Amino acid sequence: MSQSLRPYLQAVRTSLSAALCLSNFASQTAERHNVPEIEAQTSPEVLLAPLTIARNENERVLIEPSINSIRVSIKIKQADEIEHILVHKFTRFLTQRAESFFILRRKPIKGYDISFLITNFHTEEMLKHKLVDFIIQFMEEVDKEISEMKLFVSSVALARWFRWPPRLIIKQLNARARFVAESFLTPFD
Amino acid sequence: MLLLDYQNVLIQSVLTERFSGAPPVSIDQKVSDFDGVIFHISTPETKTKILVSIQIRCYKDLVRYGAEEVLNREYGSYVVPPEAGYDFSVMVDLENLPAEKEERDELVKKISLLKRNAMAAPFEQAYQEHYKLKEEASKFTSEEAPQGVREGGEVKAIHYREEEAIYVKASHDRVTVIFSTIFREETDRVFGKVFIQEFVDARRRAIQNAPQVLFRNDPPLELQGVPGVQNTGTGEVGYVTFVLFPRHLTPQRMPDVISHIQTFRDYFHYHIKASKAYIHSRMRRRTADFLQVLRRARPENEEKERKTASGRTFKVQGS
Amino acid sequence: MANQTPAVVMDNGTGFSKLGFAGNDSPSFVFPTAIATKGPAGGAGGSGSGRPAVGNKPSFLTGGAGPTGHLSMKRGTEDLDFFIGDEALAAAGGPGYGLHYPIRHGQIENWDHMERFWSNSIFKYLRVEPEDHHFLLTEPPLNPPENRENTAEIFFESFNCAGLYIAVQAVLALAASWTSPKVQDRSLTGTVIDSGDGVTHVIPVAEGYVIGSSIKSIPIAGRDITYFVQSLLRDRGEPDSSLKTAQEIKEEYCYVCPDIVREFSRFDRDRSRFIKHVVSQPGGRQVTVDVGYERFLAPEIFFNPEIYSSDFLTPLPVVVDGVIQSSPIDVRRGLYKNIVLSGGSTLYKDFGRRLQRDIKALVDDRIRASEVRSGGAKSGGLEVQVITHKRQRHGPWFGGSLLGQTPEFKSYCHTKAEYQEYGPGIVRRFALLGGPGGS
Repeated sequence: MSQSLRPYLQAVRTSLSAALCLSNFASQTAERHNVPEIEAQTSPEVLLAPLTIARNENERVLIEPSINSIRVSIKIKQADEIEHILVHKFTRFLTQRAESFFILRRKPIKGYDISFLITNFHTEEMLKHKLVDFIIQFMEEVDKEISEMKLFVSSVALARWFRWPPRLIIKQLNARARFVAESFLTPFD
Repeated sequence: MLLLDYQNVLIQSVLTERFSGAPPVSIDQKVSDFDGVIFHISTPETKTKILVSIQIRCYKDLVRYGAEEVLNREYGSYVVPPEAGYDFSVMVDLENLPAEKEERDELVKKISLLKRNAMAAPFEQAYQEHYKLKEEASKFTSEEAPQGVREGGEVKAIHYREEEAIYVKASHDRVTVIFSTIFREETDRVFGKVFIQEFVDARRRAIQNAPQVLFRNDPPLELQGVPGVQNTGTGEVGYVTFVLFPRHLTPQRMPDVISHIQTFRDYFHYHIKASKAYIHSRMRRRTADFLQVLRRARPENEEKERKTASGRTFKVQGS
Repeated sequence: MANQTPAVVMDNGTGFSKLGFAGNDSPSFVFPTAIATKGPAGGAGGSGSGRPAVGNKPSFLTGGAGPTGHLSMKRGTEDLDFFIGDEALAAAGGPGYGLHYPIRHGQIENWDHMERFWSNSIFKYLRVEPEDHHFLLTEPPLNPPENRENTAEIFFESFNCAGLYIAVQAVLALAASWTSPKVQDRSLTGTVIDSGDGVTHVIPVAEGYVIGSSIKSIPIAGRDITYFVQSLLRDRGEPDSSLKTAQEIKEEYCYVCPDIVREFSRFDRDRSRFIKHVVSQPGGRQVTVDVGYERFLAPEIFFNPEIYSSDFLTPLPVVVDGVIQSSPIDVRRGLYKNIVLSGGSTLYKDFGRRLQRDIKALVDDRIRASEVRSGGAKSGGLEVQVITHKRQRHGPWFGGSLLGQTPEFKSYCHTKAEYQEYGPGIVRRFALLGGPGGS
C-alpha cells in the first residue's frame, strides 16, 4: 500500500463510520412516504453538510449524509485513455448488476464514477462496520483491478516467474498486447 | 487459438469429406469469410461436380493487379466461367480426382485458400516490381539513380472493406504495405492503440528481423496523391505501415509472407475482442468477490437452542 | 457493409451447437458445445469454478498446468489456450486440458467459457468479423431475461456485433415447419415436441409466444433409447453391446410401429425382418450383431414408457394432450392442428403418424363422452395434425436460417446503438419475427 493511500482510506473509513448514523424518518412532504432524504432533497433541514475527501485531484470521495440516508460517491483514478475506458466498463458492469448489490446506485453522481446509496433500512439489517469495510475494500481493489486489467494479464504472476518486483513490471509491460504483436511478427522472422 | 488460419475451414471440411469417397450428395451452401467475402459451394449440374464460387468486394482492384493470372496459375484446369453474381469459380469433378491421397489433400488445401490466392495478386506484383527495381538500382549509386527508380512503383490500392483499404508499394529496397484502419467504437480504438504500440515496439525489443511497423493518424508520405486518401485531420483513420525488407522478399518466403500479412486486420480485431472477453471474465470474478464481501455485512442468524420431544437439545443454524 | 452479408445463425444447445449462415438449408458446423481449457476439468486449480487464473492468487503458478507450462503460460495468455467442439474432446483426451460444458439444461451456466466458445466459433470456424454481421441466437423456453441481458452484453460489448436477435427455440421450430407441404398458413401457433439427447419438451406456442405455464418435460429422450437398445443387446448376449453400437442400431434401423403385439407376430412370421448389423471394432475385427425386436421396441418407450422406466409412466400422446388441455381454451384448436416435431429423437419412421393417431383417439374419446353427457348435441370434431418435415433434425437452426434471410430480419434486430442508448434491458423484448405484420 502506498504512502498516501493508507491515510486516505483511513480518513474515508472514519468519516463514513461517523456519517452512518441513520434513523428512520418519514417524509415531511408526502404523507405515508419514506424516501431517502438525500435523494429527495426536499427538506433542507434534514440534510447534513457534504464532505469531500481527496487524495489528489484524480481520486476523491464525496460523502453526503442526511437523516435517513447517505450517499457515497467515488472518483476512481484514471491516468490515461485506456484506464478511463476500463473504469467506465467496469463501473457499468457493476451498475448493471446493481440489483444484487443493494447499496449500489444505478447512476453515479455527476463528476464521480460510482455512487452508493445507504439508507437506514440497509443499516438496520446489515452490520454497519461491515458496510464500511465493503466500501473501503471496494476502493482498494478497484484500483488494483484496473491496473491489472490494463496489463490485461497478471503482471504479478509474471513478476513471480521472473522474480522481479511487480512495480517494475507494471511500468514495463503490457503483456497481452506485446505477446500478440510478437506472435504475429514472429513468422516473418 | 493465437493465429488465424489462412484457409476457409468450411470449404476444407466439406471438400475433405466429399473427396474421401462418401456417396455424393447435393450441396448448396453460402458461407461468409472475413472482409465480406462470400463463398458459394454448390452442385448445380450433378452431385459429383462441386462448384466453388467466390465474391470479393474489391475484385475489380484485384483484377487490375493481376488476380486473374494468379488464380489461373493456381487453379489451372479447374477454373470455370464465374457463376452469376460471383467473381470467380472453380469446379471439381469428384469422378475425376487425382488418384493420390496427397494430391487430393493438396487440392482441398488449394481451394480452401481461394480467398488468400485472390488477395495475393497485388502483393505478388509488388514483389516482381521490387525485383525489377532492385536490378535497375544496382546499376546506380543512390544519388544518381533516376527518379523512377528512387521513387519506386505505383501504389496499389485494394479497397477490401467499405472504409478500409490496403496499399502496397514496391521500391528497390523494400515493399511497403499500409493498412488503413478505422474503429467504429471508442473502446476498440483505445485498445487498438495499445496493441499497435506494441507492434511498433516489437521490432526494437525482441524480434529484430520482423518487418518494421509504423503507425500514424495521417496518411503517410507514400500515400500522398493516391485517390481516395484524404487527411481528414480528425484522427479517426489510422495508418499501419509494414515495411518488408529484402530478407522478407526472397521468392522462397513470398507465399508465407503474403498469407500472413493478409490476416493482419482480422488478427488484430480478433485479439482486441479476445482481450475484451478476458476483461469481462475478470470483471465477473471481481463482481462476485465484491458481492461476497457485501454479503458478509448481513448478520448471521444467531444459533438457537431447541428441544426435541424427548427433551434433548440441539442447535439450529439459520431459520 | 452489414447489409449484404448473410446473418449468422447460432443455436447453442446443451449437447451440440449448430452454427451457420442464414439462407442455407443446413448448419455449416455442428459440434459439441464443449470447451477444453488448461487445467483439470471443473474448478481450475486454485481459482474457483472456471474463473481465469489471476495473478494475485499464490496458487496461480502451481495450480492448473503446473510450473512446467509452456511459453504462453509465462506470458499470461492461458485464456487464449483452449479448444472448442470436436477439437476440445480430442484435447481433453490428452494431458493438461480439462473439458467443460458451458451450457447445462439448455441454459448458459458458465459465461466465461461461453464467451470464449463464441469467440472461437466466430473467428475460427465461421470466419466472420462480427461487426459486419447480424446474429440470430436461440434460447430455451423460460430462459430468464437476465441471461438474455448477459448474452447481449457479450455480443455488443465484446464482439460489437452489427445486430442481435434472440429467438426462442420452440418458435423457430414452428417456423421451420413452414417448409412442410402440409402447412398452409404460416402461423406461429402450435405445439412443439422437441426431443433431443437429454430431455423431451412439449411446448405450446400461441401467436409466437410460449405458454410457459403449460410446458411439460419428459425424462425420456435419445439417450434413454440408446440405453434401452443397449440393454436389449446385453440381454441377448450379443458379441458387441457398446453404447456406440447401440446408437448406430438406433439411428439406422429403428422405426415406430402401429401396434406392438401385431408387430411381434409379423416378426415371427417373417424372419427377414431380423437384420444383421456389422460392427467394425477397433483393431480391425468385424463382428455381426443381430438386430431384432428393438427395431420397433426402442422408440416405443415414448408411447409405452413402462417397458423402460418404472418412475415415469405417462405416454407421450397423453402428455401432449394434457399440455394442450392446460393451455387457454381459445388457442387449443390451433395447438391440436399444428403439432410440430423437432430434434433428432423425433426422426423415427412413422413417429408422427403414430403420435397423431394416439392423440386423435384421446381427443375423439373425450368428444364422444361430452356428446353423451350433453344429451344429443353433436360436435363438429377437432382436427389433430402432427407435422413431420425434412428439417426436423436441426429444426430450430433451420427456422432461424429461414427467418434470418428475410429482408425485414435486420429491422427486427437490436443494434449496438440501441443497446448503448437503452442498456441491456432492451433485449428483453424483440418484435416477433414472421408474426402478424411480418412476412
